[in-house]
Amino acid sequence: MPTFRNSETARGLSLIAPPALFALLLLAVPLTAIFAFSFWTQDFLTIDYTPTLKNYREALSEPIYGQLMLRSVLIAGAVTLATVVLAYPIAYFISFHIAPNRKSLWIFLITIPFWTAYLIRVFLWKVILGFNGVVNSSLMTLGLIDAPLSEISYSPYAVVITLAHAFAPFAILPIFVSLEKIDRSLLEASRDLGESRFMTFLRVTLPLSVPGVVAAVLIVFIPTIGDYVTPRLVGGPDGLMIANMIQVQFLRLNNAPMGATLAVIAMAIVTVISLIFIFLNRRWLKGRKA
Amino acid sequence: MTPIVSLRDVQKYYGTYHALRGIDLDIAQGEFFSLLGPSGCGKTTLLRTIAGFEEISSGTLLLSGQDMSGVPANKRPTNMVFQSYAIFPHLSVAENVAFGLRKRGDLNAKAKQALVEDSLDMVGLGGFGARAAHALSGGQRQRVALARALILKPKVLLLDEPLSALDKKLREQMQNELRRLQRHVGITFVLVTHDQEEALIMSDRIAVMFEGEIAQLADPQTLYRRPKSRRVADFIGVMNFLPATASGKTVEIGGLGRADIEPEQCPAGTPAGGCTVGIRPETMSILFGDEPAPARETTGTVHELAYYGDMTYYDIVLDGVEKPVTLSMKNLVGRRVLERGETARISWDERALVVFA
Amino acid sequence: MTWLRGYALLYLLFLYAPIILLPMFAFNDSTIIAFPLSGFTIRWFVEIPNTPALVKSVQTSVIIAVTTALLSTTLGICAARAGAKYTFPFKAPILGFIMLPLVLPEIIVAVSLLVVLLALGLPLGHWTVILGHTLICTPFCIAILNSAFANLDPSLEEAAFDLGESRWSTFRLITLPLVMPGIISALLISFTISLDEFIIAFFLTGTEPTLPVYLWGQLRFPQKIPVVMALGTILVALSVLLLILAEFARRRGIARMGGKDTGGFL
Repeated sequence: MPTFRNSETARGLSLIAPPALFALLLLAVPLTAIFAFSFWTQDFLTIDYTPTLKNYREALSEPIYGQLMLRSVLIAGAVTLATVVLAYPIAYFISFHIAPNRKSLWIFLITIPFWTAYLIRVFLWKVILGFNGVVNSSLMTLGLIDAPLSEISYSPYAVVITLAHAFAPFAILPIFVSLEKIDRSLLEASRDLGESRFMTFLRVTLPLSVPGVVAAVLIVFIPTIGDYVTPRLVGGPDGLMIANMIQVQFLRLNNAPMGATLAVIAMAIVTVISLIFIFLNRRWLKGRKA
Repeated sequence: MTPIVSLRDVQKYYGTYHALRGIDLDIAQGEFFSLLGPSGCGKTTLLRTIAGFEEISSGTLLLSGQDMSGVPANKRPTNMVFQSYAIFPHLSVAENVAFGLRKRGDLNAKAKQALVEDSLDMVGLGGFGARAAHALSGGQRQRVALARALILKPKVLLLDEPLSALDKKLREQMQNELRRLQRHVGITFVLVTHDQEEALIMSDRIAVMFEGEIAQLADPQTLYRRPKSRRVADFIGVMNFLPATASGKTVEIGGLGRADIEPEQCPAGTPAGGCTVGIRPETMSILFGDEPAPARETTGTVHELAYYGDMTYYDIVLDGVEKPVTLSMKNLVGRRVLERGETARISWDERALVVFA
Repeated sequence: MTWLRGYALLYLLFLYAPIILLPMFAFNDSTIIAFPLSGFTIRWFVEIPNTPALVKSVQTSVIIAVTTALLSTTLGICAARAGAKYTFPFKAPILGFIMLPLVLPEIIVAVSLLVVLLALGLPLGHWTVILGHTLICTPFCIAILNSAFANLDPSLEEAAFDLGESRWSTFRLITLPLVMPGIISALLISFTISLDEFIIAFFLTGTEPTLPVYLWGQLRFPQKIPVVMALGTILVALSVLLLILAEFARRRGIARMGGKDTGGFL
C-alpha cells in the first residue's frame, strides 16, 4: 500500500485527536462515573463502594420520584408542543413572506431578546406572571378578572410559559432553515397542477419541512426536561422538575448516588422518548414515499 | 533529448479499483500534449499523478529524468490550472498571480510586481492587477489561473479540462489563445479533455484513454485517419461502420462494393473473413447530374438530413446495408440540398477506408 | 396574508415582553419590581461599579467566556476540518460522540463532571468551569464550522500547494481567511453560551462565582434586584451592539469575497 494513503489517515487521526480526547476525558469518563455512582451508596460524607441496586429500587418504588419524572416529561412535552406549534408560523412567515434581503434582519430581531441573561429573563417572567405582575394588573384594570390569577405565578403553567419563551429561537431556527431549503418551484408546480394554496402547504411544504420540525422538537424537548432554573424560580412546589431533585440529592442531601441514579433514569427516559419520536417519523416519511 | 515527462508501467489503485493500468508514455519538451477520453477513463487521475496530488501504486514517473516518487506536489516542477480555476477569492488579481512567488527571497517587491504585470500582459489581462478576484468573468478567471501558474516558469503546465466551463464561442477563442500562448512560452502543456475536437485543434500529440489504458498515442492526423481500433475511431469524429468480408488484399463491403486495401489501412493486422470497414463522412460525396465519380461510385437513398448552414449532413441508406451512413456536403453556391427519399449517386474512395477486425 | 403578519407581530410582542420590562425597572425608582412605576432614576446603574462582588463576577464570567470561546473554537476547527477532509477509522462514531453534549441536558453534564472532579480531589475554580463550558460549546462550534469548511472549494488548497506552499502555510494563507466568518461566528456563539450558562457554573464554580451564579445568589434579596435589572440592561445593550458589529463584519466579509448573502450566521 502506498505511504500517501496512510499519511492521509494519520493526518486525519492526529487532527481529530484533541477534540476526541477532550470528549473522552470530560464526557465518557464522567458519564461512566455517574453510571457507576448509581450503583453505590452514600452515608453523610462516606461513600460505600459495594455495588447495589438499592438506589434504583428506591427510585422506582418511591412515588415522589415517579411523579417528578412524569411531571418533567409532561411539562417538557407541553413546552415542546407549544413552542414548536407557535414557532412554525413565524418561521414560515419569515421564509415565505419576507424579502430575502430582510430575512436576516428578522432573524436578528428574533434573537435579540435572548441576549438577556437566561436568569434575568426567567426572573422577569416571574414579575410578569406574578401576583402584582403585568398580566394580572392589566387584566384587572381591563375588568376581565376580579382577583389576580394565582395559577399563572407559581405553577407548572408558569414553567411552561417561561420555557416556551426561552426556547422559542431553538424551535424557530431549524424550522426556518428547512423551509428555506425547499425549492420554490415545487410549490409553483403544485399550484400549476391545480392545488389551492392551503393544500399546497399541506401536501408539499409541510412534509418537506419535517426534518426541521423533528430537529426543533428534539432541540427543545431534551434540554427542557433537564432545566433547573425555571422550575425553581416560577414553578412553586407543584412545578418542580427532575433536575431540581437531582440537585437537591447532590448538594443538599449529600446523596450523590441517588442523584446519579435519577440522572441515569432521566437520561434513559429522554433517550427512549427521542428514539421513539425519530423512529415514528422515519416510519411516517417512509410510508409517504411508498 | 530526454523527454520532459516519462511514465513507465504506471499503475494506480484506489483500494481494489484499478484506475491506471500500465501507462507508458513520453512527453517531449515543448509539446502540447493532450489526454483524451470519456469520463472515468483515468485521464484526470493520470494528470494528478504527474502533478503529485496522487501517488502512483507502482511504476516510475520521471520529470526531466528525475524520479518523482515521494516528491510532494509543492516540490515538483509542475503547475496546474484547475477545472474550477481555484482563484483565491479573498485576494486581488495581482495577489493571486504573485502567490507562488512568496517564497522567492531573491526577488524584491518591485521585481515581483514587474513579473506579475508581464504575466498578466501575456494572458491578455494587462492592467487587471488591482481588481478583486471574485469580480471576474469565467474567461478572465481562467487567464488569471494561467498567469498564476506560468509566472513560476514550470517545466510542465498541467491543465484539467480548462475550457469545459466556458460557453462555445469563448471556448473556441480560448482554444486559439492557449495554442498561441503555448508556442509563445515554449513550455510543455499537458491538457486533459473529453472533447475530441478540442484535442484535435490544440495538440501536437494525443493519448486516447479508455478504462485506465492508453488506446492510441499519435498526432491528430494519424489519430483521425488511421485509428487503431473501432473504439478510437468511434470516439474521434464521426465514423461510419460497414459490414465486410476480407480475403487477401481485397474487401467486399456491404453497400459499397469491392476494394483493394493496403496493409497500413489495417491497424489491427490484415483481417480474414468477416470484418468491419470504417469510412469518414467527408470522404463520401453526392454526385449531381452527370458529374463523373473521382474514384468509386455506388447508389443510395436519402433517409434523413440535417442542415447546419455551412454543411448538410445526409443519412444515406445503401443497398443491402441496414444502418444508414452519414455523409457530409459543403453547401456551395448553386448546390442544392437533397430531399428525403431521393436516390443519389454516391462517390467514395478506397484510400479512405480503415479495416477493423 | 395579513393574519400571518398579525400573528408575527403578536409573536414578536411575546418575545420582547420580558426584556421591554428590563430598562423600565432598571430606571424605576423603587426596589419593588411591580407596577405602577415610581419615578426615573439612574442610581441602580451607579450602584453597579460600587458593588465589588458584582464587578468581580462580571470579570470572572468574561475571563471564562473568552477562554471557553478560544478553546472550543480551536477544538471545533480541528474536528470540522478532520470531518470535512479526511477519512479515518471510526470517523462517524468519534464525531458523533464529540457532538453528544448537544443532546444531553446540562444538569447531567454538570453532575457527572462534579462527581469526577470531586473523586479526583481537584479544586473547583475557573478551570473547572472552563472545561465544562468548552465541553458544551465545542459541538456548536463544530456545527458552525462544518458548513464553513463544506463551502470551501478543495481545489483552492490544492492550488496553493501546487504553487509551492507547505501544508501549514496553505492553511494559514488560504483556508483560515476563507473560513474566518465561520470562526468568528463560532467564537461569538461560544462566548455567549458561556457567559449566560448557569447550571454547569453553579455546580463547578469555586469561590469566585460567574455572573449568572452571582445573580442567582442575589435574587433572594429584593433590594438588590433593581441593580440586577440595571446590569441586565447594560448586558443586553452590549450584546446587541456586538451582534450588530458582527453582522456588519460578516456582510463586509462576504462582499469582499464576492459571495451571496444567504442571511445570518445560519
